[in-house]
Amino acid sequence: MPRIIVDGRQIECRPDIPVLQAALEAGLNVPHYCYHPGLSVVASCRLCLMEVKVRDPRTGAMVWSPKLVPSCQTRVADGLEVRFDSPAVRANQKQVMEYYLLNHPLDCPICDKAGECYLQDYAEQFGPASSRMIEDKLKNPKKDVGPRTLLYQDRCVLCTRCVRFAAEIAGTGELAVVNRGSRCEIDVFPGRPLDNPLQGNVVDLCPVGALLDKDFLFKQRVWLLRSARSVSPVDSSGQTIWIDYNEHGVHRIRPRFNQRVNRWWISDEARFGWKYIYRADRLNRPLVRQGARLEPRPWEELPEILRSVLHQAAGQDGGAALAAVLSPMMSCEEAWLLARFVRQLAPGAALVTGHLPVVGQDQTFPGGFVIKAEKCPNRRGVETIIRHFGQPHLSFSEFLTRAAEDRYRAAYVVGGYPDEWVSDGVAAALAKVQFLVVHDLFPSRLEATAAVQIPGAAWAEREGSFMNCDGLLQPFERAVPPPEGVKADGQFFWELAGNRGLFQAAQVRAQMADHMPKFAEVFTPRELPRYAH
Amino acid sequence: MAFEPVLMKHVGRPGSTSLAAYRADGGYQGAARALRMTPDDLVELVKKANLRGRGGAGFPAGLKWSFLPPDRKVTYLCVNADESEPPTFSNRVLIEHDPHMLLEGILIAGYATRATTAYIYIRGEFAEQFHILQRALDEAYAAGYFGRNILGSGYDLECLIHRGAGAYICGEETGLIESLEGKRGWPRIKPPYPAVQGLFGQPTVVNNVETLACLPHILTRGLDWWLSIGTADSKGPKMYCISGPVNRPGCYEAPLGLSCRELIYGPDFGGGMRDGLKVKAVFPGGLSMGVLRGDLFPKAPPGVIDPKADYDELDCRLDFEDPRNYGLLGLGTAAAVVIPQTVDLRDVLVSVARFFAVESCGQCTQCREGTHWVYQIAQRIRAGAGRLIDLDIIEELTASMGMISGLSICGLPDGAAWALRTLVRKFRREFEERIAHQEPEAPLRRARGTNLAAYQLPVSHGRARAYPGGTFYLVEADHSNE
Repeated sequence: MPRIIVDGRQIECRPDIPVLQAALEAGLNVPHYCYHPGLSVVASCRLCLMEVKVRDPRTGAMVWSPKLVPSCQTRVADGLEVRFDSPAVRANQKQVMEYYLLNHPLDCPICDKAGECYLQDYAEQFGPASSRMIEDKLKNPKKDVGPRTLLYQDRCVLCTRCVRFAAEIAGTGELAVVNRGSRCEIDVFPGRPLDNPLQGNVVDLCPVGALLDKDFLFKQRVWLLRSARSVSPVDSSGQTIWIDYNEHGVHRIRPRFNQRVNRWWISDEARFGWKYIYRADRLNRPLVRQGARLEPRPWEELPEILRSVLHQAAGQDGGAALAAVLSPMMSCEEAWLLARFVRQLAPGAALVTGHLPVVGQDQTFPGGFVIKAEKCPNRRGVETIIRHFGQPHLSFSEFLTRAAEDRYRAAYVVGGYPDEWVSDGVAAALAKVQFLVVHDLFPSRLEATAAVQIPGAAWAEREGSFMNCDGLLQPFERAVPPPEGVKADGQFFWELAGNRGLFQAAQVRAQMADHMPKFAEVFTPRELPRYAH
Repeated sequence: MAFEPVLMKHVGRPGSTSLAAYRADGGYQGAARALRMTPDDLVELVKKANLRGRGGAGFPAGLKWSFLPPDRKVTYLCVNADESEPPTFSNRVLIEHDPHMLLEGILIAGYATRATTAYIYIRGEFAEQFHILQRALDEAYAAGYFGRNILGSGYDLECLIHRGAGAYICGEETGLIESLEGKRGWPRIKPPYPAVQGLFGQPTVVNNVETLACLPHILTRGLDWWLSIGTADSKGPKMYCISGPVNRPGCYEAPLGLSCRELIYGPDFGGGMRDGLKVKAVFPGGLSMGVLRGDLFPKAPPGVIDPKADYDELDCRLDFEDPRNYGLLGLGTAAAVVIPQTVDLRDVLVSVARFFAVESCGQCTQCREGTHWVYQIAQRIRAGAGRLIDLDIIEELTASMGMISGLSICGLPDGAAWALRTLVRKFRREFEERIAHQEPEAPLRRARGTNLAAYQLPVSHGRARAYPGGTFYLVEADHSNE
């Protein structure tokens, strides 16, 4: 591990990283715009310049070089001595910040980025108090660069992060710099809008308010938001995300750094694929069949009803007439609670891995990012749990075949998918089940035959953990409460199993770990340095 | 021994661009001699000749070649014919009148660096010159000076001409390489230097046209001849351009070390000022190197001008060393533009600032924003709305742009900084005088018309007053009568 000296402080750093990265990791606030650890180094913002100690060729003594060096371009080397806290470095930072604000419209009051903007932060921390420019500002246009993204060119600092992202990570290269000098602009090519499955990341990458998400535009001031650590449920890769929410609900989703999975990025699917949680037709009260109709019943009565009917069914055919379909949208804790409950009723009950939504093929991008074809977060976790409980376990299609043969008296079917998943075949097969419990987010064709319909909560309204396609167990926090009338799935299973009090995912996980050591430890990604962005 | 021009010996002769005419005068003899040597000997020879790059920076060509990694497989030679420095046209003269001298130089340099392909990056605006060069190249190919097994030596060299699209920055070597690769001509960060990783990621040498044109003569006339020309550290002949109101504007060849005064007044060169005009200022090395004072001024301020002990900076020798003594960045392209006494330096400031503002590539912040801001300030000063503080701001901005190199990726802002700063520094008195004689209150009134923030500015409330002793001071505004 090389050791370098920054501002007189010895820092031990990872080998072969830029000095800037090492300084940030050591907790220093070094201003920078163009540098991003996930992108190539261009050293063009000239804000991270530092002083380096070099050997004087005449005297042989180590002296501070008069020339400032970009810290993003200089790799760490053992014994390297640099400083940021010097008059020359501070003067450069001050001057560059003045330059950045020359043609900036200073429209922070109506800018979405205000509050998390590095132009604001650095101007305050490193810039001069006021500008000396009395000339007219250049007025750059606002541009519609893509179906989901806007570009306010007048706020741009030309760090070219977005250009490099489009070229290096997404590999689509829609963005480019046009014109020269102070007339430089970021733009797209005619007829080639910024429209790729990763494009939303350019908005996060933008250190200022130039690239904006149309979806989030003018929705919330960022200081009114809180963030929950979550894992995206849109595919099986387990992209870690921040859910930005407040008392009005979820407002946006941002990537959360994860060195094992998605690094700094997320797919647009993960970014925008949460809108379903606010669909107007969400199920919001438990219904129990009374003759031809489903009638609402209070939550408190449900466990009793289910226990008695399922118990009855478990008593027949040695338990083989009972089945539980565990959806890959469930968290590990929920799957475990339900599977254990069913197996306690009937050791011969079938445990079924629910419907696996697969769309197309895995999509790999030049930067290494993968969008999985499997559009559910927890197949691996559910399968692990089902395997733990032993035979009989079935795939969803096997289950359907048997159901169509009228072999089940009772089945507990969990859905939770964002899209319609009950095909005619599924509906027809499940119509044969005499006592069908459907636990789902939205009304479906199963409504016609279900004996009990239980409203589920979406992932942002629950806590738990998902095991991604590579077996990485990642916890996620609850961001918002479920809609009125809905009980979080975990809490319901907790009560169904006869427990009292609150369902706590970590506590359940600890119980699971007693049986399955795999669940003893969750993976938490490294936190990014405080001043990195 | 009278100096005998070699680089420009064919200039003005009819039919000088043809291969036959060039060969009749001993053309391609140097290349033939070079091909009989080993490449390493050739590099050593050029190192000994201390052939310094003629493009502006003056980096020794032989040393540049020796940075190439020895175990390389592919080497590219890029010929920088993107001559876009204002008042400079020496490469243009060479290409127009003697394209084969350049091609012979390319062959020699290509052989010395074991280059596989040579690319001539010619300035986009050089349309006619491109056709002349292309015709010459076709002739040279037909005569076997390019292609496979050149002159039976077993050496292969392909040569291609690439036309630029009109960007000053593409004359910077890595900007040129990017442009040649088909990208935006944004200079690269160094290291890696082009010698290690240049064009298409391969070892690359970038040389100027005039540098390469010197090579045939070093080979035919020998090292002793070469070393006998020029000053101690600057060897060889050099093409000097002179423009402005002189009697004989044009391109002239002289040994390195020609003084600026000689270039303007020498009968073989500029031939003196036209219509009895007096020199006020000279940009001796293209704009980027800075300005020399051509008017009289006291050497040690504060002082009063004594016409007997007059002083100007025209004695600056135009070689690689002396300009530094006059506060210039270097020799540059050795293209002088003379500014006569009649010209308002505010106009010059605007022109210079505009050039760099327009040509800044926009990559580094200081250069992108700084050049444009200085241009805006210069325009305002010219419009009669200058403030004394503007001069200080320009000096400060140029310091942040690149008075010490390394603040930006390439040298463009350094050039802008030296040109603007020397202009404002050396002629501060004139600017102060112009500002002092502006209409009173014009600056603020004008500024307030466009920018309300100007009301808040802690700027000079007073006016600069001309002081008979020759310096200027600020008078605080007297508001008692208002």
